[in-house]
Amino acid sequence: MIHLPVLKAEDRKHEIDPANAPKEDLRDEIFQLEKEGEWIVQRVPEPYMELTTKYGRMKKIPVEKTWHHKSCGQCGHIPGYSSSIFWLNRAFGLDYHDPTDQTSCTAWNYYASATSNPAAQAAVAMRNFAAAYEVGYFPIIHCGTSFGHYKEVRHALVHQPKLRRQVKAIMEKLGKPFVIPEEIVHYSEWVLAMKDRIAERQVIDMSMITATVHPACHYHKLIEEDAIYDKEIYGAQRTAVITGTLQALGINVADYSTWFDCCGFGFRHILVSRDFSRSFSVQRKIEVMIEEANPDITVTHDTGCVTTLDQSQFAGRAHGKKVGLPVMADSQIAALAMGAHPYKVLQLHWHNTDNKAFLEKLGIDHKQKWAEFEAEVSQIKDGKKEYMTWEDAK
Amino acid sequence: MASENIIIIGGGPTGLEAARGIADLGYKAILIEKRERLGGNPDEGSYAALTPDLGDAEEAMDKMRNAVLNNPNVEILVNTSVIGAEGELGNFKVKAETNGKAIDIEGGAVILATGFQHFDPGRETQKYGYYEHDDVITLVDAEKMFKAKNFVRPSNGEKPKSVAFIQCVGSRDRQIGNEYCSKVCCGVSSKQSIEVRHYCPDAKIYIFYIDMRMYGYWENEIYWPAQEKHKVNYIKGMATEIIKKGDHLIVKGEDTTLRRPMEVPMDMVILAVGMEPSVGTKEMADVFGVQKNKFGFIETIEGPMNTVSTNVEGVFAAGACTGPADLEDSISAAGAAAMKSIGAVRKLTVTA
Repeated sequence: MIHLPVLKAEDRKHEIDPANAPKEDLRDEIFQLEKEGEWIVQRVPEPYMELTTKYGRMKKIPVEKTWHHKSCGQCGHIPGYSSSIFWLNRAFGLDYHDPTDQTSCTAWNYYASATSNPAAQAAVAMRNFAAAYEVGYFPIIHCGTSFGHYKEVRHALVHQPKLRRQVKAIMEKLGKPFVIPEEIVHYSEWVLAMKDRIAERQVIDMSMITATVHPACHYHKLIEEDAIYDKEIYGAQRTAVITGTLQALGINVADYSTWFDCCGFGFRHILVSRDFSRSFSVQRKIEVMIEEANPDITVTHDTGCVTTLDQSQFAGRAHGKKVGLPVMADSQIAALAMGAHPYKVLQLHWHNTDNKAFLEKLGIDHKQKWAEFEAEVSQIKDGKKEYMTWEDAK
Repeated sequence: MASENIIIIGGGPTGLEAARGIADLGYKAILIEKRERLGGNPDEGSYAALTPDLGDAEEAMDKMRNAVLNNPNVEILVNTSVIGAEGELGNFKVKAETNGKAIDIEGGAVILATGFQHFDPGRETQKYGYYEHDDVITLVDAEKMFKAKNFVRPSNGEKPKSVAFIQCVGSRDRQIGNEYCSKVCCGVSSKQSIEVRHYCPDAKIYIFYIDMRMYGYWENEIYWPAQEKHKVNYIKGMATEIIKKGDHLIVKGEDTTLRRPMEVPMDMVILAVGMEPSVGTKEMADVFGVQKNKFGFIETIEGPMNTVSTNVEGVFAAGACTGPADLEDSISAAGAAAMKSIGAVRKLTVTA
């Protein structure tokens, strides 16, 4: 026993006082602008759950009446993210909306220095918010790029009257209401808010699983005051999303030294220097995780991060690197825990890194599951059905 | 009839010096301190040695305390919290609670000497890992270890082979809103690096800095001796993250001289935490209706030629409650506040 006049890290108490938060609570301004007739604020529909943000303020997370904001590039790579979200909503009997009129947020262009002007950027965001408002559903976002971008757009709109006027004029031309959501919510926040309900319905034991977690840069580094933190998770020194969900499912979350680093996607590297992305992802993330934590899986929450961590490992494999770590989103793990089909719902066949050993460890017969999936595909091939339905995915 | 008594709130170095000065001038000082002991941050933080002369902090504070403890012109109220105030220059009535009992204190002028608090590195979350890694400590923790004459790694009790100081933690940081230099940390870190050398003669010692701000004579008193005599390495660069790898900490950041990223393994990291207004400073500003600046420090209103007057006539502020200040600043301001407060009440009584 060492007796020192210095506390051990676990005994040091970090007190969070929302009254002394270093950043403004943008929602105060948003509601004030509504009072002044500047815009409509779309309230988070009830019932909602509340989670604590970085500086101790509460954030409302809608349970249902959610409007599924898609990720243009990433939904194609990891379609199981969205389908797992839909499956979870259906399993709980929740009302959600899968819109067909969402436009790209266009923030992807940031990565290649190809952004348009601020008014156009903000108008695209407000057009999507209006689309959600018009059908009476509340937008939730899983794409980290869109999520970070919308938070920045909201900040700019609150603080720049000229920009508000420009965007309002555009919305009037489009015949759309000028509306801003009360909260900008990420799907991993929804999954975290639902974690106890998910755990109650858990049918796959995951207590033998060790996972590493990668939090997305756009989630917790941009407008960081809006991210969710919990004193019980890393003493509120790291975001609670993903980790809180995995712990509720009984998964052992293991630490690794490069957890704060980017997945490799970069804010532009994936477009302009893809080899760098691959190298970074393999050498700074996957190899470090394997070396330091020897996990069964790594879990993240931005479709871009899932894609980069998963689909960079082939390059490492070609160079004889120590790779082969399955990568999934928190929504996929949550759905799997509740018994979702690994191929029909999680769509794990789209993942590049082999995840069969992971499924075997969970006691899931992946060969049988794959046969079930192929049987569905055969029926589509044979023209017996046009596509798979939610009934087929049960 | 206007009162000539001066109420001083805060029993740290500034409050003690103001009380002593007022008593020496033949006036009565009423010194209010919410802790049970006088001495302020040097006492509460168990400072070992003062900057820049490495003088014994406890001895220095004892000298200050003794100057007021048995002084007939100083009334001392410890365990006393001010909860309200009314009145004006010449006739202030301060409401306070002392040991659970409500009391009223009357005086002609007030000196606020409520000081600062150290920045909580948890506000920067993952950047510094203070709440995650035992071997990441603050300047205040290091002082406590020096005072206990035992400077070792908290994780295993062994002497560190490498120690890094990280400057500007919570200072000069727009991201968290503290856009000011805390003024003392460069000097204190340099002083502490010399103390680390005393306990760890073979250790590698580094100070990572944006730029070193060594005011006045500190340059020759601690900055050059730290490098030339005590072999401390100063590295110009910003630390961006501290992580743990095996038994070591890794300091990640950028060496701006070499223009390249750096990752340096360390046994211990000492965070040079800056100053923020204390809770008492913010509370007393509200109680007396005194203007605060955007950081929460009390604003003095007449620029560099008058560092102690506030927007409320008869209420003066001195020391680190007005912004980052070293001991020299604080003691000097205490003298100025003593003089100004007596001057203000004396004008009333002489006229009357």
